[in-house]
Amino acid sequence: MNNRRNFLSGAGAITGTLAAASVSKVAMAALPEPVLQTTPNTMPPLMPSSGRPYNPVVTLNGWTLPWRMNNGVKEFHLVAEPVVREMAPGFKANLWGYNGQSPGPTIEVVEGDRVRIFVTNKLPEHTSVHWHGQRLPNGMDGVTGLTQPAIRPGKTFVYEFVARRPGTFMYHPHADEMVQMAMGMMGFWVTHPKTRHPLIEEVNRDFVFLLNAYDVEPGSATPKIMTMLDFNLWSWNSRIFPGIDSLNVRLNDKVRIRMGNLTMTNHPMHLHGHEFLVTGTDGGPTPKTTRQYEVTTDVAVGQMRQIEFLADEEGDWAFHCHKSHHTMNAMGHDVPTMIGVDHKDVTKQIADLVPDYMVMGERGMADMGEMEMPLPDNTARMMSGEGPFGSVEMGGMFSVVKVRKDQKAGDYSNPGWFKHPKGTVAYELDGPVPEGPRQQGAGAAAMPVQNMPAKNIEVQVRKPGAGHAGH
Amino acid sequence: MKPAFRLSALAAVVLTLTGCASVSIDDALKETNARSEPFTQGKVELSRTKAQRDQRAALTNELLSRPLTQSDAVQVALANSPSLQALIAQSAVNLALANQVGRLPNPILSFERVRLNDELELGRLLSFGLVDILLLPQRLGLSRSQAEQAKIQLTGVVIDQVTQVKQAWVRAVAAQQALSYAEQVNRSAQASAQLARRMQLVGNFSKLQRARQQVFYADATTDLALALHAVTATREDLVRILGLDEAQATRLTLPARLPDLPKAPRDPQEVSKTAAQQRLDVQLARSQLDLVGRAQGFNLLGTFIDVEVGARRDTVFDNAEGTQSTGRGFELDIRLPLFDWGGARRDLFSAQTLAAANRYDATVRGASSQLREGYSAYRTSYDVARHYRDEIVPLRQAIADENMLRYNGMFIGVFELLAEARAQVTSVRRAIDAQHQFWLADASLAAAVIGRPGGAVPAMASGAAPAPAAAAAGAAH
Repeated sequence: MNNRRNFLSGAGAITGTLAAASVSKVAMAALPEPVLQTTPNTMPPLMPSSGRPYNPVVTLNGWTLPWRMNNGVKEFHLVAEPVVREMAPGFKANLWGYNGQSPGPTIEVVEGDRVRIFVTNKLPEHTSVHWHGQRLPNGMDGVTGLTQPAIRPGKTFVYEFVARRPGTFMYHPHADEMVQMAMGMMGFWVTHPKTRHPLIEEVNRDFVFLLNAYDVEPGSATPKIMTMLDFNLWSWNSRIFPGIDSLNVRLNDKVRIRMGNLTMTNHPMHLHGHEFLVTGTDGGPTPKTTRQYEVTTDVAVGQMRQIEFLADEEGDWAFHCHKSHHTMNAMGHDVPTMIGVDHKDVTKQIADLVPDYMVMGERGMADMGEMEMPLPDNTARMMSGEGPFGSVEMGGMFSVVKVRKDQKAGDYSNPGWFKHPKGTVAYELDGPVPEGPRQQGAGAAAMPVQNMPAKNIEVQVRKPGAGHAGH
Repeated sequence: MKPAFRLSALAAVVLTLTGCASVSIDDALKETNARSEPFTQGKVELSRTKAQRDQRAALTNELLSRPLTQSDAVQVALANSPSLQALIAQSAVNLALANQVGRLPNPILSFERVRLNDELELGRLLSFGLVDILLLPQRLGLSRSQAEQAKIQLTGVVIDQVTQVKQAWVRAVAAQQALSYAEQVNRSAQASAQLARRMQLVGNFSKLQRARQQVFYADATTDLALALHAVTATREDLVRILGLDEAQATRLTLPARLPDLPKAPRDPQEVSKTAAQQRLDVQLARSQLDLVGRAQGFNLLGTFIDVEVGARRDTVFDNAEGTQSTGRGFELDIRLPLFDWGGARRDLFSAQTLAAANRYDATVRGASSQLREGYSAYRTSYDVARHYRDEIVPLRQAIADENMLRYNGMFIGVFELLAEARAQVTSVRRAIDAQHQFWLADASLAAAVIGRPGGAVPAMASGAAPAPAAAAAGAAH
């Protein structure tokens, strides 16, 4: 349900949650009424109804913040507050965000707009907002202590500057930064070009999302804020697969995807079935001479990347981070490798002590995707997602670009699974398997090896089909 | 009235009195049964005939035909234990000795035959200690006191025995229960060792990782052996205290588990209501004080007033003259208290009385203190056992359930799962230990209430159950 209430269309009572805030109503009266979002679904683009026209973006599992015009100034109201974000169906996290969700709403403006942003702090600690990548007066840069005092709980600060440069930006706190980012304080910012720009192409679909990561103990709901690198949930806009919506486009649409990385590691983003160009970074549009076709582009920590491609191949195309553990949800890092270990008879012995015990991992981890076994409350499965041909066995930073001939322009709804033309799906061979060519013997080493182990260690390889059908 | 008649009349009275005073072992057992009813259900007796012995053997056999409950164990001990019979017989000895005190020394008949020329003199003297007779009431009182003391001691012996039986039973059952858990730990360790071996075999584990699992199994095997021995040791202890022969011992089976905790602990009011005055140890001390008091007058008097009185009848036959003459008279032997007026004795006796009186006071004061301590031990062990049952074990179960879910999600592996299972087993075993401690304390409190605080009051602080040393092993991993 989308209960976004545009403050321009009709006055209304401030929502209950906000009314309870410690922010004085008198002070609030002069501000644009804050707009809240209660669902994590992808909202349709917000067509500009005032100000300069532009072609709006779609925030994956997110929304765009409405504004009001006040004497030619675009006024936005961000409320920093604790939120409950559904990261995947059945799994909710206690995060900090803006206006009801984490990440906060996308702010869309047009090059040259004068922008005034009211930031109300309803967090239990002070905050600030840094406008990542913007050209602005130093005092508007939002670094607590350096360029401004902290916004204390209950206080509202005003930021005002001109969006000078078209491009892809972010906003995030610059106060108790590690904690507040670990709790999900961030948002997207798009400055559209005022007029046609030689390096910025018109596109049919423009998607945006932030790469972020959390460390939530399975069965709990609040991220561990002290985690530095060993995160266990890899998300786009605080959603994890299978909670991430698909990117639905029409055949031959020109598609732009803008991604910002606020995790603590890089993400090689990989698109199947198409080549794309990196057309923009935090610095703005890239010169055409630097552009090269890729299927994977690395988005480093704190960077923005803008990729563009022509969606000219129909189908359901995977789109994901190529670090394979980033396409997994929470999992144990110390779980031993059980591959090839026959423990059929030991199972009975273990089940004597642990009655619900079942063998897993003997053939790999795919069991995990297939078996529907109960998990701790409020926990996302490590890998799951039911596709048309079975379990997709994915989690984390994974989604699908759906290219359809009959997807209407401006329609962002999910068209369902792709119907493959006859003879275009990989099939099982019916008949004897031909002997494949094999390389015999290893190549010569470049240098003679010294200090080898005393004897050759024989590594046993177990292959499927050795009588494990019973599992 | 002729003196002879008077003497015989006196003798008749004395005989009657002394006859009344004697207490039989059967009476004493009856009293013991009444006193220790909650312990023995009135089943203590001394088997003297073959018929009695056969009857008891039959009862024992019947009780041994099913898993032996705690109260059955007590009945078996009462019916079957030769050492208990020996203790009862020993009490019979004490009673007989006490009865002996109430008997008068037999009168002495001296007969003299003196021939001088033609004269033959036959002298007959029937004499007895006058003091003995005069002090007969005291003597009877003394005898009764001693008999009373013997009876109290008998009751105490029976209660001690019963308490020991109860505690030995608790230990044996607890050891058996602990064994089944040691077996579970061992199975878990075996499973992980087995799995680790195969993991190494296919190259997923290093030698080190495998050795870690293997060493746990090795330790668990030691613990299992110790648990097995604990079962034998506690069982044999029970066998000894029940006095089972080899054939009976092989038929002894025990229930698989200790009884559940009672719904509520015994009320402290109910325990303290058993007035310290009624406790056996207090009774025994009072009776000892009484005894010293009685014996004092009696013994003191006896030492320096010793009057032998006798009737003499001398007949002289003069063969020469053919006459016969009879001389009658009485004799009185009096010990003269010239050198010993009994001062030293008096000191001795008053010192003994003082000692007895103070012992009595100490016993009374100690009794209520012991009762409080016994109740505290009982109550603590009850609360701890209940805490294990209601808090710790359910928490462990919840942890186990949650771990199972984490295993499902591949957040933890099978070895962590097994380690948790072992931790759970360990806490269950501690719960059994707590229950074990409770039942020991229960038996001990029951004995303390009746006044035999000798039973081992388990020390909660050390938590030193005679359980196999395995307990800590699981936690260490």
